[in-house]
Amino acid sequence: MKAGLRAGAMAAVLLGSQAVALVAATAQGGRPTAGDVRAGRELYQVACSSCHGLEGEGTDQGPTLIGVGAASADFYLSTGRMPLDNPGEQAQRGKPAYSPLQIRQLVAYVSSLGPGPAIPTVDWETGDLAEGNLLYANNCAPCHSSAGAGGALGHSTYAPSLGPATPTQVAEAIRIGPGAMPRFGPETFDEDQLAAIVRYVEYLDDPADPGGHPLGRLGPIPEGFVAWVVGLGLLLVACRWIGTRD
Amino acid sequence: MAAGPTDADEQAGSTPGDERAVACFLVVATMAALGLAVVYIAGGQAQAEGLLLFVALGSIGVGLVLWAKRLLPEQEVTDERGSLPSGEEDLAAVDEAIDEHEVFFTQRRLLLGLLTAAGGALGLAALFPIRSLGPSPGRSLATTAWSGGDRLVDEEGRPVRVDTLSVGGILTVFPEGKEQAGDSQAVLIRVEDGLLRPRRGRETWSPEGHVAYSKICTHVGCPVGLYQQTTHELLCPCHQSTFDVLDGARPLFGPATRSLPQLPLSIDPEGFLRADGDFEEPVGPGYWNRA
Amino acid sequence: MIRPLIRWVDRRLGASQFTRTALNKVFPDHWSFMLGEVAMYCLVILILTGVYLTFFFVPASEEVVYRGPYEPLQGVEMSAAYASALDISFDVRAGLVMRQMHHWAALVFIAALVLHLCRVFFTGAFRRPREINWMVGVTLLVLSIANGFFGYSLLDDLLSGTGVRVGYSIALSIPVFGTWLAFLFFGGEFPATEFITRFFVLHVLLLPALIVGLLTAHLAILWRQKHTQFRGTGRSETTITGSRLWPSYMLKSVALFFLVSAVLAGLAGLAQINPIWLYGPYDPAKAAAATAGSQPDWYVGWLDGALRLMPGWEVRAFDHTIANPFFPGVLLPGLTFAGLYLWPFLERRFSRDGEAHNLLDRPRDRPVRTAIGAAALAFYTILFVAGGNDVLAALVQIAPETITNIFRVGVIVVPLAVFFLTRAICRSLARSGMHPTEDPVGGRIERTPEGGYHSVPS
Repeated sequence: MKAGLRAGAMAAVLLGSQAVALVAATAQGGRPTAGDVRAGRELYQVACSSCHGLEGEGTDQGPTLIGVGAASADFYLSTGRMPLDNPGEQAQRGKPAYSPLQIRQLVAYVSSLGPGPAIPTVDWETGDLAEGNLLYANNCAPCHSSAGAGGALGHSTYAPSLGPATPTQVAEAIRIGPGAMPRFGPETFDEDQLAAIVRYVEYLDDPADPGGHPLGRLGPIPEGFVAWVVGLGLLLVACRWIGTRD
Repeated sequence: MAAGPTDADEQAGSTPGDERAVACFLVVATMAALGLAVVYIAGGQAQAEGLLLFVALGSIGVGLVLWAKRLLPEQEVTDERGSLPSGEEDLAAVDEAIDEHEVFFTQRRLLLGLLTAAGGALGLAALFPIRSLGPSPGRSLATTAWSGGDRLVDEEGRPVRVDTLSVGGILTVFPEGKEQAGDSQAVLIRVEDGLLRPRRGRETWSPEGHVAYSKICTHVGCPVGLYQQTTHELLCPCHQSTFDVLDGARPLFGPATRSLPQLPLSIDPEGFLRADGDFEEPVGPGYWNRA
Repeated sequence: MIRPLIRWVDRRLGASQFTRTALNKVFPDHWSFMLGEVAMYCLVILILTGVYLTFFFVPASEEVVYRGPYEPLQGVEMSAAYASALDISFDVRAGLVMRQMHHWAALVFIAALVLHLCRVFFTGAFRRPREINWMVGVTLLVLSIANGFFGYSLLDDLLSGTGVRVGYSIALSIPVFGTWLAFLFFGGEFPATEFITRFFVLHVLLLPALIVGLLTAHLAILWRQKHTQFRGTGRSETTITGSRLWPSYMLKSVALFFLVSAVLAGLAGLAQINPIWLYGPYDPAKAAAATAGSQPDWYVGWLDGALRLMPGWEVRAFDHTIANPFFPGVLLPGLTFAGLYLWPFLERRFSRDGEAHNLLDRPRDRPVRTAIGAAALAFYTILFVAGGNDVLAALVQIAPETITNIFRVGVIVVPLAVFFLTRAICRSLARSGMHPTEDPVGGRIERTPEGGYHSVPS
């Protein structure tokens, strides 16, 4: 009974703060406000504090969020990697657990905990495609593959396929280095280089396939498979048709 | 086409329907071939070209198979193989042909010996131009283009400063002015202060958490480009050799047997990263003379 | 019209007797005897498409700046070879189909060769008097694999360039003269810039000449010795049963050529292979890039798998090293092909059967040979799958280290198990007389006086 009342009270608080924040956000036109931060804090206490600590200081279940910045919070929340079902495993992309408004509020709260990278605004459509290609080949392809199909790293970690990522998410990942991914800050890649890489990653969502079906873009393995099963398979059928069986 | 069975049909046991089937396929082949020409003239398109070629060639093939199977008489014949080895008389004749003139050679043993020596010497001499194919290995495998004082630059030639890399970042670096050397590519990694466990004699090689290793895998030379920030491991994409960045790039798993050679680093007064010398051991895969 | 032509030729070459024998020559019709033909016709396609490609390909490593229609490489520096390959793919009309047909033909060619080798092996067709042709055939296999490697390395893209580096390092690992071999073959310390031109000469001139020459010998020997055949009613060691070359066999063979070309053309247009523009150019000087999921073409995959499975062991003594890649990269293929070459002679020694054979075995009639062959296939298949251990790891979400360790154990255990299992299956099939894939029709179960049961086909 008491638990039910408490849950009910929490729900009421949540809904109430949502409504306030919604009004506030509409009025402000998009920039995180004090209202966002407060609403975010409420959400955070309910949903994140058990692993990340009541003030974001971290516990042995989850790292500190002080100084990770808006970029980190937005990346993890908008790709559905957080909240994490299993703290021991690699965070996987999934359906975001929160609405865009809630994400904004959580991001506002987390970024208020300490200075950290802001959500990058990337003018990716004007990025240099060829430069992005080269930077991608040298820095990203070893883990994510030349086609952006992803790959296996050591210890049950995987570099994911880049198809589902939005330009903002790509830029965020480059800047924060989520999980096992290295971090490439503004001193490593400047804004132009970042835009170039993002543009090339977006190109990889729908690259040129003039040769026909891309066979999963996994390289010689599916090609060998097709050569044996389709190529030689059809020809074996032809041989059986032409020849005798005794 | 004939209304009833022809001579060919009677002998082969086929029907006019069989002939029609073959004709059908050949007509399809002709049309596909013409379509191919049209596609080419119109500018070409790979999928259309492949498909039309498949239809054209395949239809001719199927038509010919049907011709062979249905329009030809059943033909299983048996022949004698005959004996493969030659008869005694033929073998004796060969022996005689050789024997007849054998003495003009076997009694000239000295000449035969000299001929063998001349041929052998000439054959040996003929091998020497192969030497022109490439230089002697010499000491080239044991050194790279890095030397003391070289600034580290990235792939676009920009010098690397102490604040270029974020903690947890990785960059491929080259000696300034010698980026095309081919044996000098290195990875620069920045880890949190205090995590590195430098080897004896290398305590000054990694300022402010920056550490640099040769990027050429000591297994078969692929670029070791995968860096796992959380476990501080470098992974090679070719055969999964894994190296521990915190412990002098010691191999942890996979076929590699040697650590990646480490580049001694220092920070100059302007904040640029410089090499303090070449690697202390040969980079890349092992070879016979490598101690 | 034909008759005057035949007269005209005969007056100059006098080949009527040969022609008559040839037209009447008997070829057995079993479908499995066509595998060699399939390979041969793939080779014809390789030569035809290859000649076409040679007119457009530039075998030079000079750096040029790309100015073609593929936007993501605009203004990028690359070798003239890679740029010409891009031109073939994007600029030359029908160029991409030709290039893809050439590459698919290479994959299917070696697959057909391997199947053909298996057919010859499991039926014992390599026995006297056909040992020479067996060795010619094994040589053809080696040359074809080598030629394939040189061919796809010519394109100088990131993926194949990585493979060239691996090849160089394997050469380096050879004891005593490895460094000399590598420096002479490639023209210096890696990345020597000669390798594109040299690979071109090997791929377009030397190896095709050897392959065509040996294939001609292979066919000539086959012609002379006549084909083997399976046992059956009315067949013996001294006769040959089948269809005559003219018209039946020739028609079927020409038909097979068209069907082979058709399948290769279909693949060429509909299935993309080796999208070199996605990999980008190989920059050997910087050699900073490699892609996750780096595998060679399938027929080299078993070597790559061996390189991955080999644990980190090396021989170091007296200031010298026998480097790790030597064992999986040189010793393993050396033993593989030595074993293949020597097999007819080894089998003759162990089976004490030096007779000439024109009739083939059913695999089940030689349980040990079949079991060894099956075990070998299992071994090389596991190596091949191990070559994709990182792709497999990503697919099944198991750590690559675990997969590698599983394969390390499997590559020893599974072939052993396959050997014993296959031998048992062969013996049981030979006893029961059943067809391995068809159910017995109306068989009887009989009881022996000792009380056991066995089935008897009706």
